[in-house]
Amino acid sequence: MSQVQGGIGIINLSAGDPSLVNEIKELGGEELLECIQCAKCAAACPMVLAGFPFFNKRVIQAILLGLRDALLDDSSIWACQSCNRCTEVCPREVNPFEIIQAMRRVAIREFALPTLAIEGLKSLYDTGHAVYLAGAGNTRAKVGLPEKPPSTLSYPEALKEVRTILENTELAELGVIPMGESGVTDSCEV
Amino acid sequence: MKVGFFIGCNTSFNRPDLEQAVRHAFPALGIELDDLEGQSCCPTWGTLPSVDVVGWCAVSARNHTIAEQKGLDIVTVCGSCYGSLSEAKYKMEVDPELKAKVNEVLQTIGREYKGTSNVRLTYYYLYHEIGPEKIRASLKYTLGGLKVALQPGCHTLWPSKVYYDKEEDPFHPRVLKEMVEALGATVGHYTRLIDCCGMGAMRSTDMEKSLNLFRRKILSIKEEVDPDLIITGCSSCLIQFDTAQEMLRREKKINFEIPVLHFMQALAICLGADPEKVAGLARTNVKSVIGKILPS
Amino acid sequence: MVPKIGVYICHCGENIAGAVNIEEVRAYAEKLPGVVVARNYLFMCSDPGQELIRQDIKDGLVDRVVVAACTPRTHEPIFRKALESAGLNKYLLEMANIRDQDSWPHWHDKEGATAKAKRLIASAVAKAAYLEPLEDRYVEVTPASLVIGGGVAGMFAALDLANMGYKVYLVEKNPSIGGNMAKLDKTFPTNDCSACILTPIMVQVGTHPNIELLTYSEVESVEGTFGNFKVKVRKKQTYIDWDKCTGCGDCVNACPAKVPNEFNEGMDYRKAIYIEFPQAVPKRAVVDIAHCLNCAKRTIGTKPRVHSKTGEPILAPCEKACKTGACDRSREYNPEGEILEINVGTIIVATGYRVMDKAPFKEYSPQSPNVITAMQLERILSATGPTGGQLKRPSDGEKPQTIAFISCVGSRDKRFHTYCSKVCCMYMLKEARLIKEKYPHLNIYIFFIDVRTGGKDFEEYYNYCRDLGVKVLRGRVGAVDELPGDRLRVRAYDVDLGAPVELEADLVVLATAIEPAPGLEELGRKLGITCGNEGFFKELHTKLYPVETSVKGIYIAGCAQGPKDIPESVSQARAASSAAAVPLTAGKVVVEPLISEVNQRKCTGCGTCVQLCPYSAINLVEDKDRRRAKIDEALCAGCGACAAACPSGVITLHGFTNAQIHAQIKALAC
Repeated sequence: MSQVQGGIGIINLSAGDPSLVNEIKELGGEELLECIQCAKCAAACPMVLAGFPFFNKRVIQAILLGLRDALLDDSSIWACQSCNRCTEVCPREVNPFEIIQAMRRVAIREFALPTLAIEGLKSLYDTGHAVYLAGAGNTRAKVGLPEKPPSTLSYPEALKEVRTILENTELAELGVIPMGESGVTDSCEV
Repeated sequence: MKVGFFIGCNTSFNRPDLEQAVRHAFPALGIELDDLEGQSCCPTWGTLPSVDVVGWCAVSARNHTIAEQKGLDIVTVCGSCYGSLSEAKYKMEVDPELKAKVNEVLQTIGREYKGTSNVRLTYYYLYHEIGPEKIRASLKYTLGGLKVALQPGCHTLWPSKVYYDKEEDPFHPRVLKEMVEALGATVGHYTRLIDCCGMGAMRSTDMEKSLNLFRRKILSIKEEVDPDLIITGCSSCLIQFDTAQEMLRREKKINFEIPVLHFMQALAICLGADPEKVAGLARTNVKSVIGKILPS
Repeated sequence: MVPKIGVYICHCGENIAGAVNIEEVRAYAEKLPGVVVARNYLFMCSDPGQELIRQDIKDGLVDRVVVAACTPRTHEPIFRKALESAGLNKYLLEMANIRDQDSWPHWHDKEGATAKAKRLIASAVAKAAYLEPLEDRYVEVTPASLVIGGGVAGMFAALDLANMGYKVYLVEKNPSIGGNMAKLDKTFPTNDCSACILTPIMVQVGTHPNIELLTYSEVESVEGTFGNFKVKVRKKQTYIDWDKCTGCGDCVNACPAKVPNEFNEGMDYRKAIYIEFPQAVPKRAVVDIAHCLNCAKRTIGTKPRVHSKTGEPILAPCEKACKTGACDRSREYNPEGEILEINVGTIIVATGYRVMDKAPFKEYSPQSPNVITAMQLERILSATGPTGGQLKRPSDGEKPQTIAFISCVGSRDKRFHTYCSKVCCMYMLKEARLIKEKYPHLNIYIFFIDVRTGGKDFEEYYNYCRDLGVKVLRGRVGAVDELPGDRLRVRAYDVDLGAPVELEADLVVLATAIEPAPGLEELGRKLGITCGNEGFFKELHTKLYPVETSVKGIYIAGCAQGPKDIPESVSQARAASSAAAVPLTAGKVVVEPLISEVNQRKCTGCGTCVQLCPYSAINLVEDKDRRRAKIDEALCAGCGACAAACPSGVITLHGFTNAQIHAQIKALAC
């Protein structure tokens, strides 16, 4: 049974997935059930001001009601700035940002993630940097810096370490990015 | 005094002039920078932190161990790196089980995370370790006569519980103001000071919404302060303020341009750095402002 | 004689039977040594349940009773009565708590709960075999009562007891009685003027022949037990002779010092010598020595300097102004005040609450003078307040055009208080209504999480406010920004609109939480009563014994027990006074014989027990050739410290003898 029925946007609560709550709690959203939907986080959220359909308060309510599909069908959770103002003001110590992160973790496990996130992860694996711009070498040279920063880019051993860590994470099991000697990212701006 | 310089992706590849600013200003104030060779992405929020907690903390902890082995604190110029590195450290501190799991992962690359290095943000570090008075005394040039609006940046403030350096009142931050005043500028207050600029994940997910959010902020700055210059405390904010104004102008949603510098850039210039090196990649017209700072 | 033990297992409806296999436990109990019968029943405490026990006793079947049910705290007296009415000594009862200690915590482990129930019952049965009949003692009750706290709850408790004819000591830490209610403008429901209904009560209390008013005083220590408490009260140093002071206020007018005025919530200043408020009872001045400027170098306790020309003593302005000699700075400097010793039979604690300060809520810009607490607004609205009842904002005295109320500030908040403060929704609606009735053109917005108006005649406030045009929004405010011109921007997410909202206001009112009065825990330690995890005093039982505490003879009323409004505080105060009058009326109270006794023949007189006894109930007395310990039965509280420590093992705690405890432990361990 679908959670969203018909054309008038009725949400079918009976089709809610009660397992979502525990999934979120296990994936880092431990304080989920402390939320009393007071909306203080929403009052502090840039996503609300920018007009995204889902944001801290609504994400939490949707999780509590098990509305997995509604959350996964929308890209809002990926627009969260991680500004953490919600965490600062939350009177219930819910850490609303952590709940959004946990929801992203659920989404990734269902391959419901935007291309950009995949690219960022791939770039992280390929270069050790999630953000990497083509032509950065020239930009750096222009201001008098070596083409490569003293990072994983300059130290292959260091990159190998980062890759070993990544291969030890969920990422390897999920298979959301190709690992091993893949084509090297030329540009990525997350 | 010596610190580990954590550069961060955006600074390395997008605004290396900011990297140069740090590389100039810190030694000029008597602080040696260590390169923390082999550093990687912090990692930023939209990547590993969105996949699993242990993996996130492991990559973060690996960066920490580079500084730990040298007995140094980590100083970063990027708000996102500051947030991600601080939060991972905090998480491992309050959850020893997580720390143990992270160290299990790190064992595979022969490292161990101890938690002995603190994470600091450039301007907070200078505020606490050098102090505005000494900085004022070290300047070759000042921002005297300039009216400045500030953008401290979300990641420099929240969540305050994870940061080593804390504002007394994160909703009414004072440190950046004091630092910019030490450079000789007049700081104008506007009522949306602590609002988000729209950079980061929002911008990459929905540029239009991000620009609308930014517009609200830049209009508040223009109407309430009308400054000669905007100074940010965060490298991500720098990029947004530097590029989004032009985009809004193109869409005829604003009809002005306010030059933007990161605090470290303004400081480096005042300490005598070559503006081409430390602010040469700015898209806004910072030259006009720099012209007022440097003697003609 | 071999004891005949009956075991009676209660289902407690589903409470026990839901986790414990009753029949299995019953069959097990039946086979325990000494047990002659084991029965079970749905509610053992009900009349048919008790009848099972009574009948077995009357039939001569059993002479020791084990009830396996709930907690002895509430139900032991019930079953003891059942034994008594069947002609058996009531101390031949032992209870096994297989509900609180078993079925509830192990609800999801039926097998484990059943096994544990068996052990608990075996242990109780083992002890029961050694039970001995004991006789109750009676002590005379001191026909007087102490009420701690002179707010509306304390005053009503004191008046009721005084009107019954008992001597009442009313201790209040401030210079005047009246409490928080004296600060309020009008009160819900029905909007009575607080002063109009409270000040006559204050006068009654102040003039009642049976009430001894001890204001500016605090309880120092409490000794003794139910019926006979010995209380030391410290009368704090006023540095004014109250017998001579007429409350004329001349000294106050003369004093040049400025101190933030607590009564007006810090919004104006009082003097260092001050009368708490104009309607104070008693109307007497006190010197706040910490803020006194010691004008003319007239430090208390010094002789005045003499004017070189006139030869007149040089006095401080307050002294000079005083016409009665009450203010005499040559008096001895004694910051300790005076200790009074009073004897009472019962004690009522009604120490009230305090409201949270605005300072911790940095997201709401507390540094702005125009962000105020609701209690500050009460003072602004009150005719006795800093503005004489004129609605003025603190920054510049202008009348605000737009007012925003923010609810749940520090309540339902894990960083401060997780409980709902209960009265905020109503006082916000009340304040909004008072303002709107007076100034219909003002804009008022109230930001709620949920509007909670549970109570008789309460919902009408909500409806009436909406009729008056008060805007009610759901959504906790996230930020208050300071704007130019001392204005404020309130930012929230309107849950019903599903949109972020901003409001420019001239005054922001924070409904800060009600919290336990400072020092409540310390007072609790003196009295032997405990605070719950929210910091308020804990009642003996929330439903059945709401004004009693775990210490017999000590009762609680008002906000000392938890947040509540005036109607509830008064109801509870009058309940407490009635409960506290019962033993006074009876004249004597039963004291359980569960106390210690020394076998004096074997006592070596080492004195270990004397040192240990927290109730100073043991003395060494000369008996023939040597000194031996003697326990004062009236003072012994039966804690057992002496019995456990006695190196010769010659002290017995009745009801918990060594033989009984050993048997109990042995049965538990196997």
